Amino acid sequence: MSNLEIQQILSRRKLLQLGARGFGALGAASLLNPSLFAEANPSSPFQGTLAGPHFKPAAKRIIYLFFSGGPSHIDMYDYHPEMRKNHGIELPDSIRNGQRITGMTSGQKSFPCVAPMFDFSRHGKNGSWFSEIIPNIASIADEITLVKSVHTEAINHDPAITAINTGVQQPGKPSMGAWLDWGMGSPNKNLPGYVVMISKGRGQSQALYDRLWGSGFLPSKHQGVKFRSAGDPVLYLSNPKGVSRDMRRSMLDGIAKINQAKKKESGDPEIDARIAQYEMAYRMQTSVPELVDLKDEPKHVLDLYGKDAMRKGSFAHNCLIARRLSERGVPFVQLFHRGWDQHGSLPSKIRQQCEDVDQPAAALVRDLKQRGLLKDTIVICGGEFGRTIYSQGKLTKDNHGRDHHGRCFSMWLAGGGIKAGFEYGKTDDFAYNIVENPVHVNDLNATVLQCLGIDHERFTYRYLGLDQRLTGVEHPKVIPELLA
Amino acid sequence: MGKSHTILAVLSFSLSVPVVGKESVSFNRDIRPILSSKCFHCHGPSEKSRKAKLRLDLQQSALADRDGTRAIVPGKLDESELWHRILSDDPEEMMPPPESKKPMTKQEIELFRQWLKDGAEWERHWSFGALEKPSVPEVGDPAWSRNPIDGFVHRSLRNRGLKPSPEADRRTLARRLHLDLTGLPPTPSEVKAFLDDKSPDAYEKLVDRLLASDGYAERMTLVWMDAARYGDTSVFHDDGPRTMWPWRDWVLDAYKNNMPFDQFTVEQLAGDLLPESTVEQKIASGFNRNHATTDEGGVIAEEFRVEYVVDRVKTTANVWMGLTMECAQCHSHMYDPISQEEYYRFYAFYNNNADPGMQTRRGNQAPVVNVQSADQRKRKEELEKRDAEISKKQEARRKEARKAFDEWTDEQFLNAGEKKTPVAPAGLVSHLPLDGFEKNLTPDLVRKDSECRLHGKAKPVGGAKFNGGLKIEGNGYLEVKGFKDPQWNKPFSYGCWVKTPNGNQNGAVFAKMDEGNSYRGFDLWFQNGKPGAHIIHKWQDNAVKVVGKKKVAAKKWQHLFITYDGSGRAAGTRVYLNGEKLDHTVEADGLTATIATDKPLRLGRRFGTSIVNGVEIDDVRFYDRELTSIEVQSLSGSDQITPLLAISASDRTPEQTKVLFDHYLHSLDKPFRELGKERDKIGGELASLGKTKITSMIMADNPANKMRKTYLLMRGQYSSPDKTKEFLPDTPAFLPPMKEDLPKTRLGLAKWIVDPKHPLTARVAANRHWQTIFGRGLSNTPSDFGSQGSWPTHPDLINWLAADFRDNGWNVKRAIRQMVTSATYRQSSVTRAEHLEKDPVNLYHARAPRFRMMGEFVRDNALAISGLLKRDFGGAGVKPYQPPGLWVEVSLSGGRKFIRDKGEKLYRRSMYTYWKRSAPQPALMAFDTPTREVCVLQRQRTNTPMQALVTLNDEQFVEAARHFARRILTSGAQTFSDRLNFAFEWATSRPADQLRIEVLQKFHDEQSKVFRDDPKRAEDLLSVGESPRDAKLDPYEHATWTLLASMILNLDETLNRE
Repeated sequence: MSNLEIQQILSRRKLLQLGARGFGALGAASLLNPSLFAEANPSSPFQGTLAGPHFKPAAKRIIYLFFSGGPSHIDMYDYHPEMRKNHGIELPDSIRNGQRITGMTSGQKSFPCVAPMFDFSRHGKNGSWFSEIIPNIASIADEITLVKSVHTEAINHDPAITAINTGVQQPGKPSMGAWLDWGMGSPNKNLPGYVVMISKGRGQSQALYDRLWGSGFLPSKHQGVKFRSAGDPVLYLSNPKGVSRDMRRSMLDGIAKINQAKKKESGDPEIDARIAQYEMAYRMQTSVPELVDLKDEPKHVLDLYGKDAMRKGSFAHNCLIARRLSERGVPFVQLFHRGWDQHGSLPSKIRQQCEDVDQPAAALVRDLKQRGLLKDTIVICGGEFGRTIYSQGKLTKDNHGRDHHGRCFSMWLAGGGIKAGFEYGKTDDFAYNIVENPVHVNDLNATVLQCLGIDHERFTYRYLGLDQRLTGVEHPKVIPELLA
Repeated sequence: MGKSHTILAVLSFSLSVPVVGKESVSFNRDIRPILSSKCFHCHGPSEKSRKAKLRLDLQQSALADRDGTRAIVPGKLDESELWHRILSDDPEEMMPPPESKKPMTKQEIELFRQWLKDGAEWERHWSFGALEKPSVPEVGDPAWSRNPIDGFVHRSLRNRGLKPSPEADRRTLARRLHLDLTGLPPTPSEVKAFLDDKSPDAYEKLVDRLLASDGYAERMTLVWMDAARYGDTSVFHDDGPRTMWPWRDWVLDAYKNNMPFDQFTVEQLAGDLLPESTVEQKIASGFNRNHATTDEGGVIAEEFRVEYVVDRVKTTANVWMGLTMECAQCHSHMYDPISQEEYYRFYAFYNNNADPGMQTRRGNQAPVVNVQSADQRKRKEELEKRDAEISKKQEARRKEARKAFDEWTDEQFLNAGEKKTPVAPAGLVSHLPLDGFEKNLTPDLVRKDSECRLHGKAKPVGGAKFNGGLKIEGNGYLEVKGFKDPQWNKPFSYGCWVKTPNGNQNGAVFAKMDEGNSYRGFDLWFQNGKPGAHIIHKWQDNAVKVVGKKKVAAKKWQHLFITYDGSGRAAGTRVYLNGEKLDHTVEADGLTATIATDKPLRLGRRFGTSIVNGVEIDDVRFYDRELTSIEVQSLSGSDQITPLLAISASDRTPEQTKVLFDHYLHSLDKPFRELGKERDKIGGELASLGKTKITSMIMADNPANKMRKTYLLMRGQYSSPDKTKEFLPDTPAFLPPMKEDLPKTRLGLAKWIVDPKHPLTARVAANRHWQTIFGRGLSNTPSDFGSQGSWPTHPDLINWLAADFRDNGWNVKRAIRQMVTSATYRQSSVTRAEHLEKDPVNLYHARAPRFRMMGEFVRDNALAISGLLKRDFGGAGVKPYQPPGLWVEVSLSGGRKFIRDKGEKLYRRSMYTYWKRSAPQPALMAFDTPTREVCVLQRQRTNTPMQALVTLNDEQFVEAARHFARRILTSGAQTFSDRLNFAFEWATSRPADQLRIEVLQKFHDEQSKVFRDDPKRAEDLLSVGESPRDAKLDPYEHATWTLLASMILNLDETLNRE
């Protein structure tokens, strides 16, 4: 083992922290356990493995609203009035430009362009277009930056959703949340630092995978913890039937006494970490139920999130819990809302999906703002890719589908460090190609890291001979225009 | 130990230059890692990114004169350009340049200074050079040392001013060996046997016993499953099921039988290419079918086919050679001497596999091989044995029945004169001669009240087999209203005469069947000209289907008959064509419920489908018995028996007598017939055993005339092959070449990997073995032995172990045995102050490591300690407890549901847990089990609150605690302390001490009161888990001890190997 590696294990900062605080009780092997150090220096903005931010952070946490399945940018955000004129015409070769398309439509003989079957209007000081199916999101136009030029190489769900969440299309890499939990840690010791919630949409659900919130090659403690709507909110959280909290307390006291004795016998400092983890588990048993219990939310707040706010497992409910997590300092909360894969019957299905997400998503931004949390919380909203201008299947007067499209799609961001009331990136009149200011999914992640004070190029972990990064091996760049 | 003292010690350990003892700066240990991580990107093996034509990975280039300056001038700091550049703070000059964001630290600069001053000595990268066996250092303490390992370890300790720890006590050693070699704890009696064995080789005997156990094979296989990215599902998109456990069982057998590692390697990389490869060798080649595959509708197949090749290259290189070869897919390797061209030469070995880019979500994708599970093999042997026994009984019966037969033939002979034709079989319940039609109606001669009516174009014809008949045309049919359903569990028989327009007829001659209700009912069936029958409750889970192996002749009246014995089995169902009993194929075998349906009997079709246009039908009969073959023969007019009966016994030829006797036995002798039925059943089960096919995916190359050419993929893109140059399979130039006589195929590649001259294979394997036993490799990057990899703590030891492994027949058990019988291994794991000062991470083994068991073993231990563990070796994956809904909430449109197993399958070893890779078992995931979507050679070992929640609250662990409590309460121990000692013996291999007894006694006394005051609590706690509780036990005591047991299962000393 080289000096470098030993330093990777026993980082200078940790040792200095220890030096400042006193070392005795913790012992050396606990050097391997960042969360213990976190308690050592609560004044540091980061509690994780990174010594501290690379720049002054603009934000402390993220809420990521992930719409799984590929929401249509054309029917929600990326409107061009010329689309109406082009409705029904064949996609010009000059636009398609030999671009590969998925196996689902590559056999199609005709590629008729379809204008959105919804009205669009301009909103906010910036005058951005929004579809009639997302009136609430339109109403927060002045809080958000709408990026219309996000792009990805992937054209199918599995690789695309893996790429946007982990930086590459192949499995094996840590998710964004795991990276942040590893690097930044969490100021809240009674809740997980990375929480994932899933809601079921009304359309065809594409699969999700543990790897999307997994820890890849990072220590597995950094994997996202799922908050669930049925059963225990966190797996295995409840005591077994018949066991009260008092009984559990007595059990843990007994276990701790024997473990402390074992510590003396064995000299193994890791035992202190085990005792601490059992205590944290005990605290989680109350902090999580408290967190998901919405009885202290006033009516006007519930109303803000809409009729589903109290319905467990709904997107609205999850948005509200996300806000409560952010309030408690949890750095990364990710909501997956399923059902956006509209290969057919798009007009009716996307309307249904938007009915479920529009009000809560906008409410979340408003709610964060009114609580003063938006200034250091970033909200990100989008999916793994967009959809094609041309119809998949038959185009009729009121019905059509759209296939996957990764060459451009729209996402929006709001909050800490992000410009408000802004629009970035431009696509052609077919919302097919980017004509101005492309933003690769890894550029987007690099930019978000920047808001958190992290230089994505220096945010690395040595694995398989490479200094691995969330943002991949190509050369992603921070997009300064998006920053406030 | 003073606090400040420790801090200082650790600080100095980490921050000082790691010049230890009198050792000087070492190029490989100290300098290469810095060059690699900070300089090679621009001055390394990759041509594309190389700046100023300078290579710092090659001594020649580094020392070369470059227009008067030299990067490095040994011994002369001032003349070395590198030194000036490192020190410079001019952004134009300084190295590494600021944009690399990899500035040199002060320690690194100091290391360079020292190294340059000392003469800038170069060394070949430690793992790339030839593997030679170093001499074993003289042991400083011969009394301590047990084998060569100890010489190396002792030298390194001495250099660091450390001493080895004393040997651990025997209880600790017994438990450590059991956990390390099998992943399971010893039983108290196993510990006692070891304590009582005073022979000098007691320890070695224990080691040998454990190495021979199933547990050893399971323990080793688990590690290999991570490396092989083993799973029970396909990963991408739908993550559907696949059957690869036959491959996993092959690995189990290989470890169990101590297959040499070179053979283990060759069979897994190229078992399919071995001459006349066996089924097992083909199964072994499935190693490279374990990777993730896709079934996503929109994918471009070639993109994923390339992905699979890339994965195979990466996995082979990582696992066997510790090379991160995948880095060279898009550009030449930045750190190791692998060019992009060499990458594609290596890739070419794998570029001809026959499996496609788009694969199935429904089980195994070809190429596959048929396999028999151990259960199937066992059952087959049982059945064959039983069949042989019954056959013997039949022979015996044959002798016994002779007398009765003779009497019967005599009697028949006497009656023969009166009986010109055989008696019509009894039990006729319906008979449609189809001779006369009136107003489209024709009578049933038996069931007079049936209404049999012509519909559509079906028409009466004359000159059928017997007078009139029925011809089906177009959509016509004859419907019989009021036809009584036969019963599935009573015998019946049916059939008719039939004439088909061609010899490949398909459809139902007649049927009483409801296609809309899973085809309930029965029919007389043609399948491509072959007659057969369906008898169905629910197709095809609960049904019998047999099809005769002979075709009907076209345009000729022929007799078809089905007999059924009411057994619900194919073996009890016979198909006769013109009186001949046909051999049949079984397409469904197992009927256990009603076949009754509201639908009427129809001739010429089922209810609405399977129409037999152009077929003629005559003389339809139904019987409520299973007709004998002679009866069917008589109906078909092919009766051979009746004429024979008219010959007296003395006049019959022996052949004639044999025919008659066989007929008698098979049709009329009840005991013989019963035995025959039993044999038929066995035959049926044997046939269906062969039919429930288990396959395992294997490697197979494309045929010679369809070999794919390999091109360099520009930027690694599947869609950008550079077709100007074809690449033939070959190995990288920095490694010894393939022997001339090896084919340039996967087989040649596999043999090259295990060539004794290959410098990496043995080193990587030895390191992995060390990691398996000591918890951490001698090099801490088991999958990267390149220049970015971790410098080994004991370079000589790793070389010695590797050479010794290679030179002793790649004997894995020997290698493991060598490690666990060393004094190094047998040390106490107690951490002392000087350890924390000088070696806090325990890199140098002044003590044995102490660490938490692998997640699988945490659960296995709880099951073993509680007595729940079910020890079966191998077989299909099982689905033990997990919280509900986990699959559905992530699966494609909710289409994959987890259905928990029951009974013994809940308690198998955790390595057999069904591994769904997009949503793996969460309790194991909490304990660092990787998802296995990709190859993993080193698990993380974390310590988290989620783990506490699992071992305290998971149904599996609570149930285990309840069973552990039962084991304690029924042990015979009466006092609290005796019971507790018994419990601790199970969990930790030693009795409880005073402190533990006091702590737990106090808890016991408090909690038993709580349960007595609130009996519902006890009932609730004791109801967790599927298995019933022991009702004989006092519920309050049982509940209290369940909590105590849970506490013991959660103790650090139970969860740790020490």
